Amino acid sequence: MRLHKTCDGVRRRDILRMGTLGTGAVGIGGLTLPNWLQMAAAGEVRPNHARRAIFIELVGGPSHMDTFDLKPDAPDAVRGAFRPIETNVPGVRISEHLPRLANVADKFAILRGVSHTLAAHQLGREYVNSGSRPIPALSFPSFGSVVSAERSSDINIPPHVAIPRAGHGPGFLGLQNAALETKAAPQFGKPFSVRGISLPGDLTVDEVSRRQDLLKRLDRRFAELEEDDQLLQGLSRFGDQAYAMITSPRARKAFDISKEPESFRSQFGEDAFGQSCLLSLRLVESGVNFVSLQLGGWDTHQDNFTKLKTDLLPKLDYGLSGLLTGLEQRGLLDSTAVMVTGEFGRTPKINTRSQEGGRDHYPRCMFMLMAGGDVRGGQVIGESDDTAAAPRHDAITPDDVAASFYHNLGIDPTKEFNSDTGRPITLVRNGKVVDALFS
Amino acid sequence: MRPAQSFAPRLIVLAFFVLTLAFSGDANSEPAPAKARPSGVKLDSFPKVLKPLPQRFADAETAEVPDFQRHVMPLLGRLGCNGRSCHGSFQGRGGFQLSLFGYDFKADHEALLDENSGRVDVDDVAESLILAKPIDADMHEGGKRLDEGSWQYNTLHRWIASGAATERAIQTLERLEIQPAEIQFNTDDQQQQLTAIAHWADGSKEDVTALCRFASNDDAVAAIDESGLVASGLSGDTHVVVSYDRAVVPIAVTRRVQVDADIDAPPGSSHPVDRLIAAKHAKLGIIPSPICTDTEFIRRASLDITGTLPAAEEVRIFLANENPNKRKELIDDLLDAPGYAAWWATRFADWTGNNEQELNNVLPMRGAASRLWYEWLRVRLDDNVPYDEIVEGIVTAQSRQEGEDYREYCESMTEACKPGNENLFAARDGMPLFWARRNFQKPEERAIGFAYAFLGIRIECAQCHKHPFDQWSKDDFDQFSKIFASINARGNTVSKEANPIRKELLDNITGGKKLNNGELRKLIYRRANEGAIVPFPELIYVNRSAAARQKAAKQNKKRKGSAVAIEVPKGYVLGQAEPIELDDDPRAELMQWMRDPANSFFAPAIVNRVWSNYFGVGIINPTDDMNLANPASNQPLLKYLSDGFREHGFDLHWLHREIVTSDAYQRSTITNASNSHDRLNFSRHVPRRLPAEVIRDAVLLATQSTVQTQKMRSTMSDMAIAADVPQNRNQRDFALQVFGQSARESNCDCDRSDSPSLLQSIYLRNDMEMYQQLASKNGWVAQACASLGEAGPGQASNPQKDQIARKAEQNRVQMIARVKRYLALNPNRRAGQREKFEESYKAMRKRFKQFGYETPSLSAILADPDAWQLVSTGNANAKEASDSLESIVEDAYLRALSRTPDREELEIAMQYINDSDSVADGLSSVMWALVNTKEFIITH
Repeated sequence: MRLHKTCDGVRRRDILRMGTLGTGAVGIGGLTLPNWLQMAAAGEVRPNHARRAIFIELVGGPSHMDTFDLKPDAPDAVRGAFRPIETNVPGVRISEHLPRLANVADKFAILRGVSHTLAAHQLGREYVNSGSRPIPALSFPSFGSVVSAERSSDINIPPHVAIPRAGHGPGFLGLQNAALETKAAPQFGKPFSVRGISLPGDLTVDEVSRRQDLLKRLDRRFAELEEDDQLLQGLSRFGDQAYAMITSPRARKAFDISKEPESFRSQFGEDAFGQSCLLSLRLVESGVNFVSLQLGGWDTHQDNFTKLKTDLLPKLDYGLSGLLTGLEQRGLLDSTAVMVTGEFGRTPKINTRSQEGGRDHYPRCMFMLMAGGDVRGGQVIGESDDTAAAPRHDAITPDDVAASFYHNLGIDPTKEFNSDTGRPITLVRNGKVVDALFS
Repeated sequence: MRPAQSFAPRLIVLAFFVLTLAFSGDANSEPAPAKARPSGVKLDSFPKVLKPLPQRFADAETAEVPDFQRHVMPLLGRLGCNGRSCHGSFQGRGGFQLSLFGYDFKADHEALLDENSGRVDVDDVAESLILAKPIDADMHEGGKRLDEGSWQYNTLHRWIASGAATERAIQTLERLEIQPAEIQFNTDDQQQQLTAIAHWADGSKEDVTALCRFASNDDAVAAIDESGLVASGLSGDTHVVVSYDRAVVPIAVTRRVQVDADIDAPPGSSHPVDRLIAAKHAKLGIIPSPICTDTEFIRRASLDITGTLPAAEEVRIFLANENPNKRKELIDDLLDAPGYAAWWATRFADWTGNNEQELNNVLPMRGAASRLWYEWLRVRLDDNVPYDEIVEGIVTAQSRQEGEDYREYCESMTEACKPGNENLFAARDGMPLFWARRNFQKPEERAIGFAYAFLGIRIECAQCHKHPFDQWSKDDFDQFSKIFASINARGNTVSKEANPIRKELLDNITGGKKLNNGELRKLIYRRANEGAIVPFPELIYVNRSAAARQKAAKQNKKRKGSAVAIEVPKGYVLGQAEPIELDDDPRAELMQWMRDPANSFFAPAIVNRVWSNYFGVGIINPTDDMNLANPASNQPLLKYLSDGFREHGFDLHWLHREIVTSDAYQRSTITNASNSHDRLNFSRHVPRRLPAEVIRDAVLLATQSTVQTQKMRSTMSDMAIAADVPQNRNQRDFALQVFGQSARESNCDCDRSDSPSLLQSIYLRNDMEMYQQLASKNGWVAQACASLGEAGPGQASNPQKDQIARKAEQNRVQMIARVKRYLALNPNRRAGQREKFEESYKAMRKRFKQFGYETPSLSAILADPDAWQLVSTGNANAKEASDSLESIVEDAYLRALSRTPDREELEIAMQYINDSDSVADGLSSVMWALVNTKEFIITH
């Protein structure tokens, strides 16, 4: 215990934490909530890297063989119903049911032969959402929570948004870095608002400001104590930020996709995923640092091909191609890192449990996509074997891709954090940046 | 890895010794004397303390041969070779891997001598890579670590030149003596060199300062460098920690606070807790804050003891009470209130890991398991069952009651799983659900989870390596894990003899049809709801040695003659020299060990957690991380409370009362120059954010009508502290999640969060739930408007009378439930509980008198509990409530902040209401502002 503060009012341990946790955390000696705005302003952001990120999770585990890693020459029991098509990059072929993505293949890189060993949904998701293989003693933070902790953002815009909810929590980085969840997905052509951000219909900004003024005048009991108390400081700061966000039109406008012209909106597709992609674009354009979104339904144990062809692939094709095109049109692609992944691939061998057949969980071989920032699009990195059953050469791991994602964002993947129990944790313990992505 | 079996007891002796050091008496006092030495060995017969290695190996030509365990490995550790980012990494580095932090002497010796690694070359000593690489920054990725010709170099060189041998047996370090044993700094420029003397079991002594690792727990107070030189820093106190071989020794460092001005000291207190805290304050020069006001006290005590915001009328009554003993009386009332059991059952459920997702499909009825778990705990806390008995019910849990057959068990459980019947499960002796969780099946998961829940220690590091600043080795961990391997509590398990009945019950349900798992589960669920008896899993002990014996007997038959020897599997309880033989259910022995007065974890773990509930900080922090390098901030205090708790038969009420009646708990938030930065020595009230459940309930209790909130308070319905908030299976209640309710998933007290966040502020300011609550026709605003004759759904009421009637009603319901539980006990246990039960009756009778109600005689209640009706004596001392706007604003303050507004606040609020479009708008805004103040969300 210390009875006096250092001249700058910060303990050495706090400084460590500021460098790592950013918005602060509960420490051994009590609550520490350093001023994250100041901290982040002086933060460790390398120039010329992606400022913001969009993370798309394909929940359920998409079949790699029917999407981005087709094996037209494989035996019948493996190959599946779909044929590959050429893309706008010579030599790169993807599924025939992804024609729009084929037209923008120069904007993203395909990672094939990504491999791990966790075949359960939950564990796999924790892995690909954090880049660290889950362990029981500790919960690793999601990418978005790390970015939220490492980056500054404006007071009237949320730093980290999940549509409709986060696939993974902030782990040891604590609640301050949790995503703002929209709880619902936007619908085509309809105004969209988010719980807590938008004012209820009958309340005007003037009324809210009048209330806020009342609150300011009544909330003074602990003014004297506040100078020395980080909890009280934190409550004041978050309170001001909440007020700024509620009353400023900026956040509300960012969420309202109906503000986009019809022509722009429709290139994303009219389903919830496509409109979520549109929303994610509006959010990063408005200064949100990290957006995560999801497209579920990929757990195709049965009727794999019908589900993919009639539902999942068209949605992904429209939404993702719309997003990449849109980001480029708005000049945001160079500053926005995009990552797309499921929790695993699916078995090369088609099962016979349903009439049409399906594919089961298969972490040994899967695909991921990367785009934006410094990623050079139009390339395929890594390779799977003849039946897409394993990486042909060295496997790429989820850790490697995570390290690359952070690298693309200018965040050092080997950076050391302290867990909430004081244990030192390397951000991505076992990953190496995949250099080919950036060359 | 466990070395040869024969080493185990010796290692454990050391662990025991170190434990004694950490937990017996003041950590500041001289280290405890060494345990009895091997017979025939007298310390005096040995030469004096061996000189430090830097002196003995200054000359490369020395004839002395260094010892692998005593010198070489610690030296490699000091040089950083076996660190996490170097060769201690689990992948190794540069084709060379050492055990992390270097406690696996055998493996490390092998790694060093591995010919392929080239680290040690006894034929060409200087070419050995452990010498050649670290002297050359270009060759060594880890940079230059050694100077040629230095004592470190000479030591390694001599060891290799002499044959690079290691002792076969691991040598036992009896104790590590640190001089000085305590440090007190007075000025800025003071420094103190530590000296470490190793006392080995063979009687030899050596100065090992140059081989120790040093760390400071707070280097702003005391910085320590790698040579063991401690430098004075800011005022305060901390520990520097020295480790060598298996010893970990914390050394207290104190620097008094310097205050120029005179500070008025509050009156002293003779309370044992206060005396022990005052002793520490005296050392630090801290003068504590004065005692808090009555308004602060009732709010603080109600929130901390019962997790419930006090009602406006309760505050008024307490403030008007002139009895000098009223704080003690309030404490007794609160400990006896339903909120106490509800809130603490929630906390116990946190620590024991009651997690619905991990319990999915553990019982055939969805959602039942966590409800049953909670109620089992709540009933015991309401009856103030001794802590060790509660834990025993969990640790040694059997699924069936004594004498119950499998069919009766299934009947009883089918019934108990129906919503509203949780009390049937609570009446059962055991709580086997603890063992049935999905994340509590592997022996190592159980070792970690068990140590976390009941011992307050983290042993997960030891799953892979011994931590340099903790005592548990990987071997301790593995041996401890073994104890849990023989308990099977998986979903479809039943004992052998129950199998036919299980099959029969299943056939009754399915009609003999074959169904897949999912269909079967749904069918069982449906049939149970229709009243059919469904089969339940049961916890069984698997006798592996019996199974092994059978298998061996079979093999023997086949092989004819060559008998296979059976070894009874063994496990070791942490730190114990004697194994537990696993040919019988080991859990009773485990429980016995925990309950033993010599156990230094069991009582301190719960004492420390309860303490931290009241102070926001434990006597040890983090609260679940008791270890040698993390000593208590006030060891005598922890010891006093732990011993007292044990001596009072693990009486939880005693523990709560002992803490809450102290001045330390009742201090004000007002600081003085000497204590304004104290967070760990309990010299003032340090504000903390309320827990998630408490906030969520407090918002409702402040914003809903009196009728509504009185119902919540008396029946605990819709109260999050009583786990009565509907939660979807995959999605928790929004507010509870935002405010950091414990996820109960990772064996860490940090699963619960009390940090503020942006989302929390947005929720309280602008969430639809908040607006709904303010605008509800059952809300306080509507009630207030009605009483003013303003527009709004009307409901005339006398809040104070209602309040008292509701409180009496709540007490009546609670007492009837207690009587029924008491009557359900067997006669023996009933006799044992009689005294406690009568006390509880008397306390209630006294309260009823104050409320103005009659109480039936005890015998009448016992004869027919349900016949008891509330009868007013007509003496209730309630005053008529005024309906002025001012009194309404005052009511808002009392509801939300448990105090009346001062003049200025009242004026601001009145002005605001008068300027508003309607009174309803104005009141709504005032209440909105009050629940958004910092004062609302923190303790004070």
